[in-house]
Amino acid sequence: MPGVKAGGALRPGWRARVPDYPRAMAWTPSGDLLLVLDAVGGLHAFDGATGAVRWHRPDAHPGGGLAMSHHPRSPRLATGGHDGAVVTWDTQRGEPEKRWELGRAWVEHMSWSPDGGWLAAAAGRAVHAWSAEGQEWVAPVHPSTVSGLLWAGPHELATACYGRVAFWKPLGDTPTQALEWKGAPVSLAVSPDGAVVAAGGQDQTVHFWRRASGADSAMSGYATKPAALAFDASGTLLATSGSEVVTVWTFAGEGPEGTTPGRLAVHTLPVTALAFARRERVLASGGREGGVVLWRLDAAGDGAPVGGDVVQGAVAELAWRHDDRALAATDAEGGVTTWRVSR
Amino acid sequence: MTTKVPVTILTGFLGAGKTTLLNRILGESHGRRIAVIENEYGAIGIDHELVINADEEVFEMSNGCICCTVRGDLIRVLGNLMKRRDKFDYVLVETTGLADPGPVAQTFFMDEEIREAFALDGIVTLVDARHLGQQLGRSQECGEQIAFADVIVLNKTDLVTPAELDALETRLRDMNRMARFFRSARAELPVGAVLDLGAFDLDQALARRPTFLEPEYPFEWTGLYALPAGAHVLELDEGPDPAMGLVVLTGVSPDDASLREGAERCVRLYADTALLVAAGGAIPLGAHADLRLHTPGTKRFSLVLKEACTVALYAEHFAEEFNLRVKVADQPVEPLAQRAWVAQHEHDDEVGSVAIEVEGSLDQGRLNAWLGTLLREWGTDIFRMKGFLSLDGEERRFVFQGVHMLFDGQPDRPWGSDPRRNQLVFIGRNLDEAAIREGFSACLV
Repeated sequence: MPGVKAGGALRPGWRARVPDYPRAMAWTPSGDLLLVLDAVGGLHAFDGATGAVRWHRPDAHPGGGLAMSHHPRSPRLATGGHDGAVVTWDTQRGEPEKRWELGRAWVEHMSWSPDGGWLAAAAGRAVHAWSAEGQEWVAPVHPSTVSGLLWAGPHELATACYGRVAFWKPLGDTPTQALEWKGAPVSLAVSPDGAVVAAGGQDQTVHFWRRASGADSAMSGYATKPAALAFDASGTLLATSGSEVVTVWTFAGEGPEGTTPGRLAVHTLPVTALAFARRERVLASGGREGGVVLWRLDAAGDGAPVGGDVVQGAVAELAWRHDDRALAATDAEGGVTTWRVSR
Repeated sequence: MTTKVPVTILTGFLGAGKTTLLNRILGESHGRRIAVIENEYGAIGIDHELVINADEEVFEMSNGCICCTVRGDLIRVLGNLMKRRDKFDYVLVETTGLADPGPVAQTFFMDEEIREAFALDGIVTLVDARHLGQQLGRSQECGEQIAFADVIVLNKTDLVTPAELDALETRLRDMNRMARFFRSARAELPVGAVLDLGAFDLDQALARRPTFLEPEYPFEWTGLYALPAGAHVLELDEGPDPAMGLVVLTGVSPDDASLREGAERCVRLYADTALLVAAGGAIPLGAHADLRLHTPGTKRFSLVLKEACTVALYAEHFAEEFNLRVKVADQPVEPLAQRAWVAQHEHDDEVGSVAIEVEGSLDQGRLNAWLGTLLREWGTDIFRMKGFLSLDGEERRFVFQGVHMLFDGQPDRPWGSDPRRNQLVFIGRNLDEAAIREGFSACLV
């Protein structure tokens, strides 16, 4: 990657491996563990400080793992896979706690609500959610396979499927808002205040809506599917993949319509992963070539690389430790790499 | 660079025997790791570890372009599978009878990630020989599945008569001249009839099948007879024409390969000037004869054999049209084998093929303009196309194939001293054959 000094703000931490493609990853809130679910169904807990294997469940999801979400406060992880099951785990002991069988469809998406009150999961066209009090909510069957699911607020769930992004209150039987268009979403992001929702599309566009007015716009010109989207903590910057350049749209003022986006160009192959730090305007990006780059951005979405490194394979996912002082990357060769992040 | 994982698409209506065929292939493909994407919950389960069920989901794009229409379920499932390091080496996609094969095929060209990891190998359409006739009349998808196929399997042949089967095959060959045909009673096909076809691979498609166009034979019917030495009689009653072309070959055996080989020899013999044979005359062996049938009543011709042998009649008409029979010692002889050939037919089906074979070279500018217009205006109705071209000024043959408006072509082997010619086929709905032929001819230099 020309123009990037190896290291910089990224200081090498530990490295580890999992036996197959790392399908999902999560830090515990305290950072004591990094959990990785692989494509053949193994669940691995690495010591957050050293990378030592703390526990390992090779058959967490027979057939393959697909999704995970960590509880925002408690030592509790939820995972899903090809077996159509949702399982919660006690991360300290590495033991399963609860298990729900959702049917033959793959469990591809799951998310714990920001206050931990609900866990939602999508399998095929079905969306289920379970509350801490033991309630189960089965949303009306979606018109097509759910391709995105996340919480837009403590009590509002967003789902994406072909032709629609919908918002739901748990236990409700109709969406509180349905944004329809002729598109096939491959990624979904909601600004932290819930005001803007963005979906990357199969047709190589990023479509977004301002929820208060329902007004929408589409950004085109992407070379590949924008499968990675990330809002910064302020909700004014939206980083998008879709080529070897990270395109950053700003929602400050009148934007992003009619504005020139920030263009972060260092990767040599299409960008595969994006993650903003929780507190600062610092973005981590990963590419198909295996590059991991740290960017410090200005308010307009432009910025310069402040650190970088290369991992073994195409970057699968990036995850910041909750204190923003460490970053983890998984790659297509099964590598798990961490860095300490200096300010 | 990793090699792409080949994908076979298996289409056909419920009840055509797809599950039986899948189980047979999986049972016989030892040592291969085959992933099966199943879109139909058949009564017979598939006993296999890598079976993934998915709902068929067609994604149309906001730009309205038909060639951007893809199958979301395949992108999702294959996108997940391709990431595994624990690899599989073949993918079989089963579609329902209601599936439009267009988006399925286009998925492998339109989606960048899928295109990089997978290569569409071929489309195999299984038909229930007994019920296809009705299904063709009722469902548009049925015709499309015939049109898109690289291989058409006439299954459940035990439920129909040989004549019905011949008629069905003739009808389907009219619709799709590009496909290879197989017949089976219970999907007992060799694995090689379904896997590793290389039908979308430009390097392979023509190498494997140098004449992929099913020729339109100048004859319609063949009857094969085992006859003793001696002077025998060929009798014909009054029929639809005042004359009938005929070539009689000896030494043909009743298997299909031998009958086809005979047919190829006859194509050349039919090109010779015909020997006119009046009623009462002797039919020559191994030569183009034109039997004169204009007089009323039954006509008799003699067939003289020096020794016992098989004789194959390659006739311009079906035997029943003239009640044709071969008699030995005044007793009619039953044929050992009969076969129908694709002849110039009126097209009853909306779906049909236009096959072009022309000598000469093409002006590239005119060809591009014509093809561009053709695909823009008719791309929705053109399902598949395939062929090779001689471009003026180019040393190498240009091979191409396409699905709807998607076109893929590349230079192939040098022409060398071979005569320059063009061979191509379009398969589509309500194609204007005359306009296509005229447009193509206008591109010749």
